[in-house]
Amino acid sequence: MIRLFSGLLLGFAAVLVATLPLTLAAPTIEVTPLTKDQVLRGRFEQLRFLQGFQTPLKSAGTFVLAPELGLIWRTETPFELTTVMSPAGLVQEVGGRETMRMPSARIPFISKLYAMLGGALTGDWEALSGAFNITRKTEGKGWRLKLEPLHADDPEMPIRTIDLHGSRYLEDADVVKLNGDRDHLVFLDQKLESAPPTPEEATLLAAAGQR
Amino acid sequence: MIRILALVWLAIVILAAGYLAVRIHDGLPLRTDLLALLPREDQDPVLQRASDAVSRALARRVVVLVGHPSAKEARAAAIRLTADMTATGFVDPVADALDVDRLKQLGTLYFSYRRGLLSEADRALLAAGEGEAVATKAMAQAFGVGGIVDGNLLRSDPFLLFPSFLADLPFPLTRLRIDDGMLTVTDGHVTWFLIMARLTGEPFALQVQQRLVDAFDHSAAVLRELHPGLQIKRLGAIFFADAASRTAIGEASILTNLSLVGIILLIVIVFRRARPLLLNMSVVGVGIGSALAGSLAVFGELHVASLLFGTSLIGVAVDYGLYYTSSVFDPAGGTPRERLRRVFSGIVLGLLTTLLGYGALALAPFPGLRQIAVFSVIGLLAAFATVVLWLPILDTKAARDPGSFLTAAGRMCAFWEAASLRRTRSLLLFVALMTALAGLALVHTDNDVHRMQALSPELLHEQDEIRDLIGTNAATQFLLVEAPDDETALRREENLAPLLARLKTEGALLGAQMPSAFVPSAERQRENQALVQTALEGPLLSRQRNMLGIDPAVADANRSNNEILTLNKALASKAVPLLRDLVLAPGLHVVTLQGLARPDAVRAAFADIAGVRFIDPTADFSALLGKYQQRAVLLTALSAALMFVALAVRYGWKGSAWVMAPSVIAILLTPAILSLAGETFTFFHAMALVLLLSVASDYAIFCAESPADRRAVTLLAVWMAALTTLLSFGLLVVSRVPAVHNFGSTMLIGILLALFAAPLATRGSVKVKRPPARIARAEEEHARIV
Repeated sequence: MIRLFSGLLLGFAAVLVATLPLTLAAPTIEVTPLTKDQVLRGRFEQLRFLQGFQTPLKSAGTFVLAPELGLIWRTETPFELTTVMSPAGLVQEVGGRETMRMPSARIPFISKLYAMLGGALTGDWEALSGAFNITRKTEGKGWRLKLEPLHADDPEMPIRTIDLHGSRYLEDADVVKLNGDRDHLVFLDQKLESAPPTPEEATLLAAAGQR
Repeated sequence: MIRILALVWLAIVILAAGYLAVRIHDGLPLRTDLLALLPREDQDPVLQRASDAVSRALARRVVVLVGHPSAKEARAAAIRLTADMTATGFVDPVADALDVDRLKQLGTLYFSYRRGLLSEADRALLAAGEGEAVATKAMAQAFGVGGIVDGNLLRSDPFLLFPSFLADLPFPLTRLRIDDGMLTVTDGHVTWFLIMARLTGEPFALQVQQRLVDAFDHSAAVLRELHPGLQIKRLGAIFFADAASRTAIGEASILTNLSLVGIILLIVIVFRRARPLLLNMSVVGVGIGSALAGSLAVFGELHVASLLFGTSLIGVAVDYGLYYTSSVFDPAGGTPRERLRRVFSGIVLGLLTTLLGYGALALAPFPGLRQIAVFSVIGLLAAFATVVLWLPILDTKAARDPGSFLTAAGRMCAFWEAASLRRTRSLLLFVALMTALAGLALVHTDNDVHRMQALSPELLHEQDEIRDLIGTNAATQFLLVEAPDDETALRREENLAPLLARLKTEGALLGAQMPSAFVPSAERQRENQALVQTALEGPLLSRQRNMLGIDPAVADANRSNNEILTLNKALASKAVPLLRDLVLAPGLHVVTLQGLARPDAVRAAFADIAGVRFIDPTADFSALLGKYQQRAVLLTALSAALMFVALAVRYGWKGSAWVMAPSVIAILLTPAILSLAGETFTFFHAMALVLLLSVASDYAIFCAESPADRRAVTLLAVWMAALTTLLSFGLLVVSRVPAVHNFGSTMLIGILLALFAAPLATRGSVKVKRPPARIARAEEEHARIV
């Protein structure tokens, strides 16, 4: 339902924020916005701490972030799972079988969200700071960024805080939800490529959001 | 003797006036919906009840969108508007709202019964033996990026069947999202906030309409000033009803004033005295007052339409007064009583024939028209009593010189009598006959309710905009499921689901809501429980728990039991929005339809399914109007036949035929001319014909009852009667409300024809040398009284 969908979308929002390249996130460094023909690639490890679970749910894989086109999040362990989010919507599939599809035409909020994040990607922080209170500080060579929702009582906002930490690139992120569940993400082997996404990736991105 | 009767009548009128004053002081209970006037016949009470309940629920819905480029300002305005509307006491703002608390309640209610609740997709997968796919889907959510997974939920529902069921619930507001407790949608640069409310009062009660819409308009105006750029759109029967009543009342007051001024001028010009005016005013006043008091006493409330139609019939009553007051010009002169005696038989016969027609209206199977009949009969009798008992006492003694009007009126007789014009008359008759034949052959009837109301185009536009913005499009048509009990009804609905899904893919409709989507039948819940057990938990539960790292001991503790959610439990919880509107009674359920594009396809698809009916209240109502129209035509014919027989007692068969001729010409030629002019024939035309018959027959009888030397005086009276009728009802032809226009156009043409043809009736009166015993006795009796 409405709340569940938007909760889900904000989960994605958190991750998208978390994958913002360093150049944008670090306030002390000269901002070089990610341009249209650049692609950020890397590996991730995700630990999901759920209330009442003794061990976290562990997953790992690769990601591709292409401005204006979207994000591809490929989980490789414990099983193969691909999630693609684009301005047109999102789609999730396991072993070629679709497990979720949400065109933004059905939920207009998704495109608003994407506009917010797309803005941040190209150096426009205004949209994002309309929803979050952002605290930045430097820590040795690196930096730390804390995002807290401006309207904590908004039922659409299931997130308590997002903590980001990195130096040249974002290195790890902590997303804490209202109920205490927490995602810890670590990003590795990141590199910025001045090449468009591969044809296969482009197909995936284009397919997200279609009915 | 007559003085005593006059005093008795005065006492009755004073009593009635007192009663009326008390009722008006308490607020006149006026109703404005057509539905209340023409209740369905009791062929199928179940159907009627269902149809009324659904229509009422729809009619009580109020939807308002408040939009502004700044979401903050839009929200503030929406909150203020809601408060202002609630302050009237006529709306309940939270009744339909799908707010956060409601969602929590909903989740809590369903959670304990979740083992029996499956989404369509999950159910299909499990039934196909693809439990693996369901398990994988849950794993994807648990491990995937972002995600809604809540630790507590995952532990008690490791296959995430429950969120899947919740997401599958068919809530109609597909484009809305919740923002801080309010439903909202953003379109372009404008953020809209939704206000949903339910009327606690009657949408068709004039008072509720005016007070609520006034409060709304006032609040909207204030808010627009406060927040420049604010847009407000509204949807709801009450806004349409209010706009329609405002149009009708506005028109009515203009037309009433026009016709009142016209009638006063006419009487003053012809009589050149104030007294005849006062006399006729008192006749009309007493007539309408008594009819109002009598109808209120009998029915307790009054419908605006019966007021309109009834008052129009009393317009006939003024004819009696005019007929009497014109006798002041009688060359034979005489005291008021002598003059009354001369016109008495005409008035009595006129009254008798009219009562015959309306008596039939009261007795015939027209339950809804009974109010009109009672109103008219009381009004006519009161007007008659006033003319006969009061007017001679109040009138001046002296006879008066008629002046040039009389000569002018007399000239009309000449057309029908002059031998030299015989050929012209034959030609005219031929033309009339051809017109009647051609016109009647072309008569086209159409009683579509949509075309009878003047729906405000502005409101229609707003309605479409709102539907586009919030993505809902509730149809007035619906499916009615009938079964001996709720469980059977729910099973029937579950069997309908595939058919509805097919219609959806064919584009016949966008969606449907039925009780079984919110509460599956017990049978279905047990099936689901079994499916979950055999296809999911049996083979896959321990693996799923292993992968997720759930401790079985802890998980088993809060595993749900196999209890069944019953419809009564869901209803009692009040947690499920809409459900209350969908369950009318045990075993009597409604399936509402969204975005119905092809009603015929849906009707056809459900035609042969037992226990399910496609109901279209608007079409049913149009059909009902059509039926009433046929009956009104039939009644007109029947009344004419009865009048013919009754008049034959006095005039003989041939004479009666002549006296009836003007009326028959009027009621046959009028629809013919209208259809040649391109108007379709509706219920309201037919109702005007009923009235026309009695008016036309009055004119004819007045003519037939006057000897040759008084004919000109009588014709003057008929002229004035016709002009007053034209001024009051003929004027309705300019109305923007099609129903009223139809009534007016019929009266306009019909009265002109009746007036023109009235002198024909004198040919029937030639042999009135020895009046039949009954009438003669009445006359003698009256003479004695006088």
